[in-house]
Amino acid sequence: MIYFDNAATTRCSQETIDTLIRYADRQYFNPSSVYHEAVEVKIELDAARNRILKAAGGGEGKIIFTSGGTESDNLAVFGTRKPNKSKVIVSAAEHAAIYNSAMELKRRGFEVCLCPVDGCGRVDEDAFRMLLDETVSFVSIIHVNNETGAINDIRKLCALTKAANPSAIFHSDGVQALGKIPVNLTDSGVDLYSLSAHKLNAPKGCGALYVRKGVHLNPIVYGGGQEEGLRSSTENVGAIIAFSDMVSYYTANRIPLSTNMSAIKQIIKRFLSEAEGIRFLTGEPSSDYILTFASDKLRGEVTLHALNREGILVGTGSACSSAKASRRIAEVLGLKGKYVDGIVRLSFGRYNTQEEALAFCAAYKKIYEELSRYGS
Amino acid sequence: MAAEPNTILIRYGELFLKGNNRYYFESLLIKNIKAALFGIRFKFVKSQSRFFVEDFDPADKNLILSRLTKVFGIHSLSPAVKIRTDLKKIGEIASMMAPEQGTFRVTVRRADKKIPKKSMEIAAEIGGDMLERVPARKVDLFRYDFELCVDIREDGWSYVFYEVIPGAQGLPSGCSGRAMLLLSGGIDSPVAAYKMGRRGVTVCCVHFHSFPYTSELALRKVVDLTEMLRPYVPFIELTVVPFTKIQYAIHEHCPQEFMITIMRRFMMRIAERLAQDKKCGALITGESLGQVASQTMESINATNSVVKMPVFRPLIGNDKEEIIEIAKKIGTFDISIRPYEDCCTVFLPKNPVIHPKLSEVERYESKLDIEALIAEAIAGAEVRSAAFPAE
Repeated sequence: MIYFDNAATTRCSQETIDTLIRYADRQYFNPSSVYHEAVEVKIELDAARNRILKAAGGGEGKIIFTSGGTESDNLAVFGTRKPNKSKVIVSAAEHAAIYNSAMELKRRGFEVCLCPVDGCGRVDEDAFRMLLDETVSFVSIIHVNNETGAINDIRKLCALTKAANPSAIFHSDGVQALGKIPVNLTDSGVDLYSLSAHKLNAPKGCGALYVRKGVHLNPIVYGGGQEEGLRSSTENVGAIIAFSDMVSYYTANRIPLSTNMSAIKQIIKRFLSEAEGIRFLTGEPSSDYILTFASDKLRGEVTLHALNREGILVGTGSACSSAKASRRIAEVLGLKGKYVDGIVRLSFGRYNTQEEALAFCAAYKKIYEELSRYGS
Repeated sequence: MAAEPNTILIRYGELFLKGNNRYYFESLLIKNIKAALFGIRFKFVKSQSRFFVEDFDPADKNLILSRLTKVFGIHSLSPAVKIRTDLKKIGEIASMMAPEQGTFRVTVRRADKKIPKKSMEIAAEIGGDMLERVPARKVDLFRYDFELCVDIREDGWSYVFYEVIPGAQGLPSGCSGRAMLLLSGGIDSPVAAYKMGRRGVTVCCVHFHSFPYTSELALRKVVDLTEMLRPYVPFIELTVVPFTKIQYAIHEHCPQEFMITIMRRFMMRIAERLAQDKKCGALITGESLGQVASQTMESINATNSVVKMPVFRPLIGNDKEEIIEIAKKIGTFDISIRPYEDCCTVFLPKNPVIHPKLSEVERYESKLDIEALIAEAIAGAEVRSAAFPAE
């Protein structure tokens, strides 16, 4: 099996599995308890917190552990104080966790503006500038777009936001970014930054929100007061430790990993450039881990099933269950005609090889020859 | 003493009409009841023209009732308290289980003639006892809110009940034979299965899939639909047949606007072959006249003409709204609207022919190696949802 859907989720590393077993089996103590064994767990939890903070260049900020990227995004959107009816800007190509949270803010009376993006999903900086004024209270711009891999210049967008209104909060969803592109949160100036464990060979159900020093948040989950009261619930210790280990691994090995991903991406990109009717939705600058294209000959869903039969797992912008979301993305990317249903996302991970990229090309050629005869 | 029902009394309806075949219908109904209660501990008791489900865990009572209300052939159900015949105790139980207010009457059936009192006298006594215990109740023999019934049997046991839950009616599944349903995954065909199931048909389903144009989830959907129908048709089964090659062949050799008509002719032929294998006596479709291009009189004629078996179309005269209402009632609607493509929406022509001429259809079709295509499809058929292990 060739797994090219690492932006959806990744396989847990052996190290992660060992860690999860250790914390389930031997170090299962509640970090809020006060006996020696629990205190040790608490110490390790905080060490994990610091490792992630350091890897993200978070300086004096803090890391709040959550259940994943979606919850981190929700905590950012709903946990920040914003004057009633003030302006909220999010990019039109945000992940559903931000997009649908912003739609909820709209229902609650906020003026929600969707910032246009270019054909590769990157925020149109001129359009962004035009939306800014002193009434802006909250901005959320995805760092690496999960659909196309486009990298937004969050440092610049954050600076523009602060120039328009110094008290506005700038959030970025960094789920596809940390460990995969250079991230320095202090330098970029962002107030809040969402992270997820399972995109980095750590388990699902674990994530974090970076909070810059001095930024005030209110909880959206109440209970025992864990995570400085911002996210009550007993910490998912094993997952958190594995998460921090994987963040360390990715940041330490970012360049060699990226080099391999880039080589895989280029093999496939060169191959697809020669195919008919292919439009690349991934442009530059983009993450080395994602390559998205649209075909006007083969529907994305049909390609997915046909590749599945060949033992290759890919993502699509057009899986019926997420049809609404993918239609939105296709629309904001300006896709027309058959391209709208023809989106395929390939996303690579640390276990992928260049041989797999070549195997993909051969399989794609085979299914293309079969399916394009009938026009799907 | 507890007044929690420990027995479910089952009355059956239309079976009485069947004269000499009564034993056959009863035994089918018993088999279906046992299949419906598969996985639950209970004791089945047959008595004259009634069945009893007894000795179950009280926690299973509602589950048993909910399953039994879907068994065709059952007229009504009553949760009852079964106790050793003792008039004083019966009065006590009756009072405890009945509603605390409202008008009521007491009806006693006394099969046990060893008891000296007459039915009317016993009823009056029990009624008096109930009034004494809860004066908010009022007796009204004709316009009552509930009827408290007491069956005093000859074997020394009595049943006390007041609640009458309507059953699914119809005929016991299987008494009308087997038929092959073309199950698409849409709203209509599961309703057609339900309606024929109600007339005693054991439904075998065939679904056509067009991998890679249709997904694994689309297959999951028809399996779920089949399982949703199982409480009504306990021995329902599902066979899936690969259809992509046939669609390719039609696409290559026949005019686009005839795609659906010819596709459906293939489906009917394959369904008939499978039906013969599975000893079915008819085909069933969910067609409703005029609903879509393939359901006009001419289209139906074009698809019907390739088979010899009778084709039942229980929804032919129904409006979409009526069909949806039943689909919601039987729980298939929410599954049917899952947004996965089925093989009928793949290669959908922009302008399908609405009034196809049979001669034209046959002429286009003659370019295809029909027998070889059918044989290959049937060779790839797989059973996805088999009949109950109880069978």
